[in-house]
Amino acid sequence: VMRCPAGRAEVAMAELYVKPGNKERGWNDPPQFSYGLQTQAIGSKRTPLTKRVAAAQDGSPKAAASETTPGLPTTGPPPPSNNAPRPPPMGSCPASSVESPNFPVIECETLLEDVLRPLEQALEDCRGHVRKQVCDDISRRLALLQEQWAGGKLSVPVKKRMTLLVQELSSQRWDAADDIHRSLMVDHVTEVSQWMVGVKRLIAEKKNLSSEEEATEEKSAATTEQNQTVPGFLGAP
Amino acid sequence: MATYLEFIQQNEEQDGVRFSWNVWPSSRLEATRMVVPLACLLTPLKERPDLPPVQYEPVLCSRPTCKAILNPLCQVDYRAKLWACNFCFQRNQFPPAYTGISEVNQPAELMPQFSTIEYVIQRGAQSPLIFLYVVDTCLEEDDLQALKESLQMSLSLLPPDALVGLITFGRMVQVHELSCEGISKSYVFRGTKDLTAKQIQDMLGLTKPAAPMQQARPAQPQEHAFVSSRFLQPVHKIDMNLTDLLGELQRDPWPETQGKRPLRSTGVALSIAVGLLEGTFPNTGARIMLFTGGPPTQGPGMVVGDELKTPIRSWHDIEKDNARFMKKATKHYEMLANRTAANGHCIDIYACALDQSGLLEMKSCTNLTGGHMVMGDSFNTSLFKQTFQRIFSKDFNGNFRMAFGATLEVKTSRELKIAGAIGPCVSLNVKGPCVSENELGVGGTSQWKICGLDPTLTLGIYFEVVNQHNAPIPQGGRGAIQFVTQYQHSSTQSRIRVTTIARNWADAQNQLRHIEAAFDQEASAVLMARLGVFRAESEEGPDVLRWLDRQLIRLCQKFGQYNKEDPTSFRLSDSFSLYPQFMFHLRRSPFLQVFNNSPDESSYYRHHFARQDLTQSLIMIQPILYSYSFQGPPEPVLLDSSSILADRILLMDTFFQIVIYLGETIAQWRKAGYQDMPEYENFKHLLQAPLDDAQEILQARFPMPRYVNTEHGGSQARFLLSKVPSQTHNNLYAWGQETGAPILTDDVSLQVFMDHLKKLAVSSA
Repeated sequence: VMRCPAGRAEVAMAELYVKPGNKERGWNDPPQFSYGLQTQAIGSKRTPLTKRVAAAQDGSPKAAASETTPGLPTTGPPPPSNNAPRPPPMGSCPASSVESPNFPVIECETLLEDVLRPLEQALEDCRGHVRKQVCDDISRRLALLQEQWAGGKLSVPVKKRMTLLVQELSSQRWDAADDIHRSLMVDHVTEVSQWMVGVKRLIAEKKNLSSEEEATEEKSAATTEQNQTVPGFLGAP
Repeated sequence: MATYLEFIQQNEEQDGVRFSWNVWPSSRLEATRMVVPLACLLTPLKERPDLPPVQYEPVLCSRPTCKAILNPLCQVDYRAKLWACNFCFQRNQFPPAYTGISEVNQPAELMPQFSTIEYVIQRGAQSPLIFLYVVDTCLEEDDLQALKESLQMSLSLLPPDALVGLITFGRMVQVHELSCEGISKSYVFRGTKDLTAKQIQDMLGLTKPAAPMQQARPAQPQEHAFVSSRFLQPVHKIDMNLTDLLGELQRDPWPETQGKRPLRSTGVALSIAVGLLEGTFPNTGARIMLFTGGPPTQGPGMVVGDELKTPIRSWHDIEKDNARFMKKATKHYEMLANRTAANGHCIDIYACALDQSGLLEMKSCTNLTGGHMVMGDSFNTSLFKQTFQRIFSKDFNGNFRMAFGATLEVKTSRELKIAGAIGPCVSLNVKGPCVSENELGVGGTSQWKICGLDPTLTLGIYFEVVNQHNAPIPQGGRGAIQFVTQYQHSSTQSRIRVTTIARNWADAQNQLRHIEAAFDQEASAVLMARLGVFRAESEEGPDVLRWLDRQLIRLCQKFGQYNKEDPTSFRLSDSFSLYPQFMFHLRRSPFLQVFNNSPDESSYYRHHFARQDLTQSLIMIQPILYSYSFQGPPEPVLLDSSSILADRILLMDTFFQIVIYLGETIAQWRKAGYQDMPEYENFKHLLQAPLDDAQEILQARFPMPRYVNTEHGGSQARFLLSKVPSQTHNNLYAWGQETGAPILTDDVSLQVFMDHLKKLAVSSA
C-alpha cells in the first residue's frame, strides 16, 4: 500500500466548508459552517453591508431608486463576459469556497495503527501518574475508536484529522492537538462523540504531565517575578 | 474632527457610546422641547482589541457621595499632586504610588485616548465559571439525539476548569450527581410541587449539618465546595462520565397518551436549578441553560394544560382575557428571574419546537438576567446547533465572549440626572442626588445589575437635563457622564471598565443649529424605539403607535424648515433626513405589531431588540436591502417594491432572516444555465456575489438567522414582499414603464406617510 502523510494544507482546506442546513426539520434552516470557517471568521473584518439610502423627502422612490439597466433586453441572454462594459460584479468579500463536506481529500491510506499506537503510548506514559480509573476509562474509549475504525464506521475526514491530531500530540503541540479534537467534536460529533472525550482527556493528561516535568526542571532556576501593582506609567508618545 | 458623523463613529469605536444629541441643550425647558430625550446607547463591554487592561486599581474621588473615578477630564496639579474631581469638584490627593507623576509622565487614565480604560482587580478569590444544563427529555427521538450530541460537543468548548451540572426533566425532575466513579445517581423531584430554596437545599443535602465543630472553624469555603461538588464538577474531571451520562439519556419514560401533551415540569426544574446555585455559588458567574422542546404543562409555571384539544394562548386569547395560566405562570418565572438576578446568575432559554413553548411567560428569566433567548424549530437544525456553538465563541485574545455579574453605575455632572435604563438588566435601587424622579425605562436608581453580558450587549440609558432656564451655563461649559462597569471576566478575573465622556452645552435659543447638526438620528431612532417597545409591554399597541407618531410630528415641527400651512415647502436637514423613514419602518415592525406573530414570537423579537447594539438594532427596525447587477458593485437600494427589478438580485437582511431574491430575468437566465457557459462567466459571478455576502453575515450573526434563497414568483418571495412597502398602490408613479413590482396591500406607503407627516408638521392647528 502506498503511504503518504496527511498533507496539512490539504486537510486544512477540507476543514473549510459549508453544508446545507436541515430543511426537513427547520424552515429555511441556514447553512452550517465548519469549525474551521467559524473560528476563521473572527479575524475577517470587511465593510459590512449596512448602508441605506434616504427616500426623497416627499417619500417617493423616484430620486433614490436605481433605474433599470438601459438597453438591456429583459429577454434574451445575459451580457457575455468578453464584451461586458465593466468588470464583473463582485461581492464585497472574497469568494470563499463553498464545498461539500466530502471535499476531495486525496484518498490515501490512513492506517489505524498509525493513529492508535501513539495514543496507546501516550496512555502508557500517563499510567502511574494518573488515577487508574481514568486510565481505564481512556483505554475503554481507545478500544471503541479501534472498533469503529476497524469496522469501517469512520469517514475519511475523521481519519485524516485524527492522523494530524496524533502528529501534534507526538510533537507535544498540545494546543494544536486540542484544537483538532475540538474541530472534530464540532464537525463530526455523531461519529466521534463516544470516544473522542477519551482522546481529549489524554491530551490534557499528557499536557499536565509534561508541564509538571518542566516545572521540576525549572524549579531551581525560578526567579520570583513581582506582580505589577503600581500604575503602569506611559511616557508621552 | 471633520464632521459630526466622524465624531460619532469615533466615539462609538472608542467608548461604545452613541448619544441622541452630541451638543446638549443647556436647560430643562429647552431639553424637553427637543422631543427626543438626551440619552445614549451604551455597549459596556464593547470589544477593544487595542485596549489592554491595566493591572492596578482605579483611583476614586474621596467624597463619599461621589466616588467618581480619576479620568482624563479631571484637572491635575502635578506639583501639589492633587486632582480635582470633574463631577463634584472635590480636590483629592493622589495615592502614594502616583508620586512620580508629571506632565510628561502620566498614568494611562489621565490620557485623552483612555476615555475608556479597563482595570484588573487583584483582590478576592477567583471562582470558576458555572454552567448548569437543564434539559427537557419530552422530545422526539431525533431531537433528543441531536440535543445530546450538542451538549456532548459543548463539553469540548467549555473552559476546562468550568463547573458543569445536569438537571433533566419531564414529568419528574432529576438532579444528577456527577462523580468520577462509574455509578450514576440522581435525586428525583415531583414536577407538580414548588419548593423553596431552603427545601431544595435540604433535600439535595447541601445544607451543612449543624455540627458544633464547624463554628470554631473559619475555613468554610472548602467544605462548601466539597458539598456542592456532587452536582457541579469541573469539566476536565467528569467529561468522560458526563459524556456517557448524556449519551444514555432517554426520552421521558412516562407514557404519553393519545390527545395529550407530555407532562413537562419546566417550572419546577428551573426552580431547582435556581435554588441549587443560590445555595452553593451566590455572586459568582453562572449560566443556567434551559433546553426545552415545548410548553410547561404541569406544576408551577404551567402555560397550557395537557389536553391537546386546547391550544396554547394566542394574542386573541390574551386580548379576550382568555389565557388561563398566563398571569400565574408569568409571576412564577418573574420570581425565579428576580432571585437569579439577585444571585448574580443568568438564565438562557433554548426553545426548539414548532408550536409555542411559553417564551411569553418565561421571558423575564432571560430579560432580567442578561441570558440568551433562542427560538428554533428543532434541536436537529443548523440554526440551533450553530447558535449554541457561538455561545462559546472566543475573541481576538482567545477569551470567551461572555462576562458575568456586572454592576453598571452611572455618574453625571450636576446639570444632569439619570432617568432610567432599558435593556437586559435589573435595578439595584441605588438612590442618590443624580437620580431623576421622572423615570424612563427602569429608573429610580443610578446602578443596575447585568448578570450575563457579551461584547455586543447594549443598554439604552436616558437622562434628564435639570439645569434651570434662568441659570445659564457659562460659555464653553461641558457636561460629563461616567459609566463604571464592574464585572467578572470570562478568565474569572474581576475587572472594572470606566468610560468618561463630555459634551458641550449650547443655548437652544441662539445655538439651535449647533444642537441640530449634532443630532444622531440612528441612535435616536433606536433609543425612541426602545422606549416604544418598553411601553408596548404594558400598554395597548395603538396607544404606543400614537405616542410615537406624536413625537415624530413634534420633532418635525421643531426641526423642519417650512412655511406655515404649506406642506410642499417642508424640508429636513441631513442630520434628520432618515429619521422619519426609521419611524415608518418601526411602526410596521414585529416589535410593535403583533399581527401575524404568536405571543412567543413577539417576546423573542423584543428580547433581541432590547439587547443588540446600534447597528443590529437598526437592521431590525429598517432591514437592509442591497441590489446586485451587471452595472457595478452591489449598492444599497430603497426598501421599497420599486427596487424589485427583473435584472437585479436583491439581498435583504432583517436580522432574523437573510433573503436572496433573483429578479425575473435573472431567474430565467439561471434556469437556462448561462452560469455554466464559459462565455457567461460574468453571470456566474453575479449569482455568486450575494451568496458570498450572505455567508459573511451568517458567519457573524448571533443568533443564526433563517436563510431564504428564492426568486421571482417563488413561494418564499413573500419574505421579501412582506417587508417592502409598496409605493405603487394608490399613486401615479408606475404608469407605462417597469419600475418595480406592484404589491397589492392596504398598508400605508412611505409616501402617504410622509405626505401626512408634512401636513401635520406645517399645520398651525
